[in-house]
Parts: sequence; C-alpha cells; structure tokens
Amino acid sequence: MKIQVNARNRTHLFETEAGAGEKILHAGLMRGIALPYECASGTCGTCKARLVSGDISDAWPDAPGRKYLKAAGEFLMCQCSATTDVVAEVPAFVQLMETGSCVPLASKGCIVATQMLTHDVMTLDIESAEAIDFDAGQFMLVGVSEVEGMRGWSMVNFDRHARLLRFLVRRKPGGVLSDWLFADGSRTGAGVDLYGPLGHATFYPSLGKDLLCIAGGSGIAGMMSILARAEQDNYFERHDGNVFFGVRSMKDVYFLDEFTRLRAQCGNRLAVTVALSDEDPPDGLDDEYPLIRFERGFVHEVAARQMQQKLANVMAYLAGPPPAVDASIRMLLLSRVTADNIRYDKFS
Amino acid sequence: MQKERICSATDIPDNGMKTYEIKGVKVLVANAGECFYAYQGLCPHQDVCLDEGYFDGSVLTCHQHLWQWDIRTGEAMGLAEAPLEKYEVEVSDGELFVVQSSALKAVEMLKDVSAATLSRLEQLAKREEYDEGAVVYEVNDPTDDLYVLESGRVEFTIGREDRTRLAGFMLRKGEVFGWAALLEQSPRRIAKAICHEKSVLLRIDGGAMLEVLEADPASGLVVMRRLSELIARHMSGPQNG
Ligand SMILES: Cc1cc2nc3c(=O)[nH]c(=O)nc-3n(C[C@H](O)[C@H](O)[C@H](O)COP(=O)(O)OP(=O)(O)OC[C@H]3O[C@@H](n4cnc5c(N)ncnc54)[C@H](O)[C@@H]3O)c2cc1C
Ligand code: FES
Ligand code: FES
Repeated sequence: MKIQVNARNRTHLFETEAGAGEKILHAGLMRGIALPYECASGTCGTCKARLVSGDISDAWPDAPGRKYLKAAGEFLMCQCSATTDVVAEVPAFVQLMETGSCVPLASKGCIVATQMLTHDVMTLDIESAEAIDFDAGQFMLVGVSEVEGMRGWSMVNFDRHARLLRFLVRRKPGGVLSDWLFADGSRTGAGVDLYGPLGHATFYPSLGKDLLCIAGGSGIAGMMSILARAEQDNYFERHDGNVFFGVRSMKDVYFLDEFTRLRAQCGNRLAVTVALSDEDPPDGLDDEYPLIRFERGFVHEVAARQMQQKLANVMAYLAGPPPAVDASIRMLLLSRVTADNIRYDKFS
Repeated sequence: MQKERICSATDIPDNGMKTYEIKGVKVLVANAGECFYAYQGLCPHQDVCLDEGYFDGSVLTCHQHLWQWDIRTGEAMGLAEAPLEKYEVEVSDGELFVVQSSALKAVEMLKDVSAATLSRLEQLAKREEYDEGAVVYEVNDPTDDLYVLESGRVEFTIGREDRTRLAGFMLRKGEVFGWAALLEQSPRRIAKAICHEKSVLLRIDGGAMLEVLEADPASGLVVMRRLSELIARHMSGPQNG
C-alpha cells in the first residue's frame, strides 16, 4: 500500500506491506521518517494522525491512547495499518531521522534464557535473528503469537550489532503478556516478533553533562543500558552520575551486586541510591553494600533531597510507571531543570 | 473576541492557573504574582489542556510532552515548536478582562520588534478574507507580499499541472508564509498557496515592510534572524516560500 503523510513542512511517501498488517508508524520509521511517537504501544496518543483518504484497519480499537483523539477521522499510527492506499495528515513538522540514528527494523527472535530476580521481576534474554543497532536507553516492541499486540521493553544491555537483547520484565497483576511469561513452566525456546529500536530517551557519551537517572521499579532497565554505555566510555572520569532506584521494600530490590561492581569500576563520581517507599532500610545493609546508599522515601523525594545544588549541568533520564515519572518531572521542573534536559519513558 | 470578563482576580491563586471557556474558546489565565496573563487554553502541539501542566510563576510547561513557554510573552522555550497565542489582560476593580490581540502580535518573527515598529506594520497590513479553495498565489507569481494567517488553513503545493505535490500547510494564528517577499533573490513563487477552508489573512507589502524595518535596524535585525531560523526549519523539505 502507498502511504502519503502530509506533514506541516512537507509530504512523505512510503509503502507498507499489503496484507501483513504492518502498522503505518512502523513502516514510516523503518524508512527513516521521524514520525511522532512515544510509547509505540497505543497508550499515549502522540502518534495521532488524521485520515484524509483511504481505509485503515485498527488492530486495537480499545487502545487507551484513543482518548486523545478529538476530530473525526483521527487514528493512532502505532495501531493502524492501511488496507488501501492512504493519505494521512500529521499536524507536526516531520523530518527525516538524523544520520547516525538507529533506524528500527522488524525481526524474529527467540527467548534463550529467563531468570527470576525477585518474586515478580525477571530478566529475559532474547536472541534476534538479525543484528540490531540501538542507542543506550532505547526499547523494543516484543510480541508472541499467543498474545495480541506488542509490548515495549527497554534493553538492559548495551552492545553494537547486538544479537542478544536483555530485558527486565515486571509481572503486572492481570497483565496478559505477564501472565503468559510468568506462567508455570519455562518460556525458553519460544519464538517472538521484534520491532525496534524505539525511544528518544537516549544517551551518547558526547552529551557532556552530569547524568541523573531516576527509575521507578523496572524503569531501571534502560538506566542499566545507559550506565553500561557510560562505563564503556569512562564517562564518569569526566562527569558525575547519580542513580536513584525506587522500589517498595527490600523484597523488590535487585541489581545490588551489579551496582556495587559499577561503583567500584567507575569511581566516586558515580553514586547509587536505592529508595524504599514502604519501609526503613534494614540495619546492616550499609555494611553489606558499602558502596550503595539506602534511604526511605519516594524516589523523586529522595532524589530531590540529594540533588540540591547539583542540578545545574544535568541531563535527567526518567523511567517507570507514569505517576512516578510525572512526580520526577514535576520535581525537576520546579527545581528549574529545563525540559530539554529531561528525557523520559513512561511505562504506560 | 471583544473585551470579555473572565473572572475575579482572587479566583486564581499566586503561581496558579485556570482555564475558562469564552464563546467556545478555551482561555488559560495564569497569575504570576503581580501580573495576570492569558493564553490559548489548549497546547499548540496536540490540543491538551494546559492547566493540567506545570506553572512555577515564570515558565509554563505542558505535561504531555514538556513543551514550555515564557509566561510573560508566550514565547516558545526549550522543546516547544510554537508560541502560545496571547490575549491582553485588563484588571479593573478586581475583575479580569481579556481582549484578543491582532494576529501580528502572535507572529513569532515579530516577537521582539519595538512597539512603534509593530504599529507601523499593523498599518501596512491589509485584512483579507478568502473562501475555501481560493488561491492566494500561484507558482511563478511575483513575490510582492507576505502573509500572516489569522484564521483558517492554507496549503502549499509544488510542481505543475497534474504533477503537483503537497508541500506543507499552515493552521496556526500568526504563522507567516510567502516570506520570499523579504528576500531579494526570490522574485517568483516556487509553490502555490490555496486556502483549504475559509481563511482570514493579513497581507503586507514586502518592500514597504523592509522600509519600516530599515528605519528601526534593531527590530530589523531581530526579524531577519527569525526569518533565517524559519527558513532553516523548512529547509529539509520543499519550502513554503
Ligand atoms: C517505552 C516503554 C518501555 C517499557 N519498558 C518496560 C520494561 O523495561 N520492563 C517492563 O516490565 N515493562 C516495560 N514497559 C511496560 C510494558 O510495555 C507492558 O505494559 C508491561 O510489560 C505489562 O504488559 P502486560 O501484557 O502484562 O499487561 P497488559 O495490561 O495486558 O498490556 C499492557 C500493554 O500492552 C499493550 N496491549 C495490551 N493489549 C493490546 C492489544 N490488544 N493490542 C495492542 N497492544 C496491546 C498496551 O501497550 C498495554 O498498555 C514499557 C512500556 C513502554 C511504553
Ligand atoms: S505512540 Fe501511538 S499511542 Fe503512543
Ligand atoms: S500536547 Fe502539549 S507538549 Fe505535546
């Protein structure tokens, strides 16, 4: 199918695979057209467009992101595919991706390992049939044939031409893919569909700013990728890094050994704080993990306390459940960090 | 919009903001301490209510994708790609009134132009109404005038006869097109401009505008700087000049 996207500054032309249900957003991004999106999974409404002519099929008519649609004919490019040639209007400036950006692709993959980290969090290793180049902080869409729709998961690792992608998945109570993944019996060997990389909350060593990472729960996934990239580049010899990892209680904590290793490797300019919202840090923890700080409180409050006077030259990376990300955004804006120094992923 | 009462000054706390609906239009009123400001109530990015965002007394942020504006001017800051449409606020006897200002005041290119020069430009501007389908200019027409959109929607196409292609569109109050009128090396239109719906445009003679700007070089420099930014933004695709 031929797709024409009328943007405010120009018209973009590309094709989608007929009959394959390829999403309009996916097809455009794969051709290097920087169509607007955020979650790529039907919740945020950022990818909205208006149908000018042609027919589309909506894979998820109940998508929560549809609440942002107002005018007749508006649809979510991340959920809709073309069934005829389509002309759509996107009321935004749409450029081509900058050279050097990681252009997404569709690939097949296979779950090669899983490991439970806590009662409701696992790491999941997926081997992709095709090598994938991604930026630290990006995510992939992952789908399995038994479950409708794809899910966004952030990469934990950082490697060039990666065949192995590591994800960190929290079990969402009642979540469809969660129930599939955490069901009794291993999912190792299961085939998956992959699309990506996606996401704008990326880190490059040329950034030249202090790093501030505030993660609610599994939001720590993308931060680990950022820290891996920073470590590979000796970034913390030149810049400060402050990582805040918020969880409810000690039974929800993981990665303490990895944080200890990173701290030992990267030196004193990197600081890691675990914020516990529901309990005081137990006695003896400081002795067990002397390189990590433990504090009681919501992660954005703990970060606000520790970062006083230290926000002048930061780039802030935020990820996790939307309320946690929103609380951190509010905290940073009210501390006069400007929006162009805040990058976030809401795990909506 | 004429002068309209909106609320009492005490209705909006310090560093607070509220949205009011005036004749079907959402208007955001913000209290920045000593001074009140009024702007379009919906985010120019994706029509989200701005009162759900953040306001710290000087900077307004849309919570959806963090576009930001200077509360004193409505000028875009940081990630924002468009300014906010501003309404003049009058306070009398503790009551707030808003007045809609001319589209020229919403023109980003003219934001820092002196008041005297802006009023001279206002005098040059002719307000014209166009019907749906009306052609503002054709390819190869002389580039005499510059246009400011007050309401409606204008589309641009490039190419000739049956090989035409849409090259962008404008739909925000205060957007400028036909800026080739300010450029000496561009005597002919390279795109066709058509009103896609009933539209109101302010038409300004490019030569006369340059004369006004020459008489006030400080303002002129600002306009030329903004113009070059504008052109750069459109550079990656066919231009709307
Ligand atoms: C940018 C981003 C990054 C994320 N990173 C992580 C991460 O690193 N780790 C992590 O644990 N979680 C992450 N999430 C959340 C993750 O995508 C899932 O929401 C979560 O795993 C729960 O999935 P579920 O199937 O169990 O829950 P469900 O409630 O069943 O589904 C959750 C999401 O799946 C999608 N979905 C559901 N049904 C359909 C359908 N019929 N058609 C299309 N789509 C559908 C929607 O996006 C929905 O919000 C991220 C989310 C986003 C947006
Ligand atoms: S990008 Fe499509 S709804 Fe978020
Ligand atoms: S809707 Fe306001 S910034 Fe996107």
